[in-house]
Amino acid sequence: MNRTRLARRDFLRALGAGACAACASCVLGRGVQAEAAAAPATAVRDARWFERLPDKVVRCQLCPRECLVAEDERGYCGVRENRGGDYKTLVYGAICSSNVDPIEKKPLFHYLPGTTALSVATAGCNFECKFCQNWNVSQYRPEQVASQVVPPEMLAKAAVDMAKANPEKKISTIAYTYTEPVVFSEYVHDTAAAGRAAGVGSVIVSNGYIREPALRDLCKHLTAVKIDLKAFTEKFYAEQCAGKLAPVLSTLEVLKDVGMHTEIVVLIIPTLNDSAEETAAMAKWLVGHMGPDVPVHFSRFHPIYRLNNLPITPIETLDRARKISMDAGLRYVYVGNVPFNEGESTYCPSCHKVVIKRIGYNVDAAGLKNGACAACGTKIAGVWSQEQALAFKPKDGPKPRRAGAK
Amino acid sequence: MSYLDPITRRQWLTRAAVASAAVAGGAMGLTPGCAAAPESPAPAQSPAEALAKAGAPQKSRVVVIRHEAFGTSRDALAAGKVRAEDPPWRELLDEAAKTLGGDAKPADAWARWFKPADRISIKVNCLGYVTSPAMATSLAAALSACGVAPEQIILWDRTCHELQAAGYELRNSGAGPRCFGTDALAALRGNAGYAADVTTSGAIGSMYSRIVTDESTALISAPILKDHNIAGLSCGLKNFFGAIHNPNKYHENGCDPFVADVVAHPLIRDRLRLVVCGAMRPQYNGGPTVRPQWQWPYGGLLMATDPVALDRVALEIIARKRAAAGMPPLDAEKRPVRYLESAQARGLGTADLASIEVVSLGKPWMDVG
Repeated sequence: MNRTRLARRDFLRALGAGACAACASCVLGRGVQAEAAAAPATAVRDARWFERLPDKVVRCQLCPRECLVAEDERGYCGVRENRGGDYKTLVYGAICSSNVDPIEKKPLFHYLPGTTALSVATAGCNFECKFCQNWNVSQYRPEQVASQVVPPEMLAKAAVDMAKANPEKKISTIAYTYTEPVVFSEYVHDTAAAGRAAGVGSVIVSNGYIREPALRDLCKHLTAVKIDLKAFTEKFYAEQCAGKLAPVLSTLEVLKDVGMHTEIVVLIIPTLNDSAEETAAMAKWLVGHMGPDVPVHFSRFHPIYRLNNLPITPIETLDRARKISMDAGLRYVYVGNVPFNEGESTYCPSCHKVVIKRIGYNVDAAGLKNGACAACGTKIAGVWSQEQALAFKPKDGPKPRRAGAK
Repeated sequence: MSYLDPITRRQWLTRAAVASAAVAGGAMGLTPGCAAAPESPAPAQSPAEALAKAGAPQKSRVVVIRHEAFGTSRDALAAGKVRAEDPPWRELLDEAAKTLGGDAKPADAWARWFKPADRISIKVNCLGYVTSPAMATSLAAALSACGVAPEQIILWDRTCHELQAAGYELRNSGAGPRCFGTDALAALRGNAGYAADVTTSGAIGSMYSRIVTDESTALISAPILKDHNIAGLSCGLKNFFGAIHNPNKYHENGCDPFVADVVAHPLIRDRLRLVVCGAMRPQYNGGPTVRPQWQWPYGGLLMATDPVALDRVALEIIARKRAAAGMPPLDAEKRPVRYLESAQARGLGTADLASIEVVSLGKPWMDVG
């Protein structure tokens, strides 16, 4: 396989094939498990967030794990390695999955509706969620998946060229998704900057497990963020994700602080995070810390990976979570992975008319005029134009207080 | 050319049949004795249990053989005049095997744990301070004493690159044991050389190397005795982190209970017959990275069928050396080796030093000076 930098023409061709596959696990048109690869040498770059310690040990400063990494070892994510006391990312531009997705698939419902995003991922994740949908890339090490190195400028240019060549797709964004963009944040940072310069926004679909300095640095170039809030108990995070809730809440506060457009997804899993009490507590926290306008999506769980012993989430549970959250004061609450559910659409918080009608990934935004309800003129929170997206600059604010959690 | 030469369909079918038999047979791989294979599958049992049934002592036995007993002076070893590759490994191994099995002849001892039909995979450790290639190849040679054909023996670790860097010669054909990494199986069987399905064991969810699942009826763990900056100790049990695709996920909490869970999976537990640990120049601090200033000429080789017992003795050697060197105990450095208790709780062996019979050959094992 090609382990060197990809020619632009080949990359575009491969992306086209990937888009046709319409599958998150496709890799530039090839199956991710078709062939194991060595971690591409050109994907090895200096990592940006770490501390040097005696005896050539480093402490990773990217995510709250703060892995202590001895020489020749890797951090928890498996994609950052100590080489002779220097800390390296092994996945700079090493794209293992790519596709052109509706922005609603991220899901982002209040960000350029009806457009698509060139979506990419590298191997690795700093969580190990037992219900991971993309575990066959997120839970692998870079050398265990096929990948091709695509430099930031090439990816940004590809997005622009694809948008011009396929105007019907309305490609407006680069999305860093499928796995965990935090672990390839150097590439996200540089590609998002290159994208901005080329007129393309960048969004991350993340678990929010990132330390504040790295997050604030990343926010300089992003145009929107989607955070998976896995649950609202430390128990769930510890037992199902090998992580902690409090740092994720801190991330949400930072995103609010910098003014980033943020949407939140909660995958409701029967018996694990589906109680009315937990949903109510979460909604109360979100209203208080993120404000009532933050869009929240309650998604339906399907058995997968290591969590095959639980049933699909009943639709009634999702509807109940939506009602509880709206009763708590959240204005835009959605039900995900349930086509034809009324909770897919956006409603005006004032007159309750449909502003954006959705059925699956079909979108009709006739009820939205200039970012406001066409019926009553109430402003609808969100990012509704590319100009608005690219104009975003993070606010410098005080450090948020430490978030509390159950 | 690939690291791993393509195998013929016949070879593949033969190996698959052997692997299937191992799986179907459950504890067949643990059945002691070279000659008598069981007629029907037996229930899973720990190595210690298997040894006990064979008439060996009930108490877990760990043999520690010191290099001085074989003529090379400690002074020469200390002065660097004798390299770790130089000891008479074969003699050391045969003597340790005889003592461990209570047999008069080395061949009888090896036959206690392996039979000619076995496909034996020797898991070496190539990260940081590495298992001596000379020891590993001598071990492979010793196994031939019970009739195991050399080509039925594999020396392996995660990747071919790591093996080469550690001084191993990659090989998948010709005379002698084969030697390659899990990644060498990627081209033939996909999924980076790992089994296609995630399998769970306690707290871990991993895919195991196809060298374990497809190529082996018996496993030998062949680690090197070294400190580990997170786990406290890297030895026979932790060596199997190199058998799963995602070891990076399991280093928190001092790797506990993850090390125990990796080995407790039937894929390992039912195949693991022996642990052979090189301890010519163990490292008592700063591991797993090579730190010569914390290595010393212990001049030892450890062997046991109980992997927990061997690790417990190994830990004691490290602990005593650290004390002698004026270093704080591992507990004080917040890296106690907790996974040994977890391993014992899972029935993998004995973590209680008082319940372990340590047989010293040559200098006493506790003498770490």
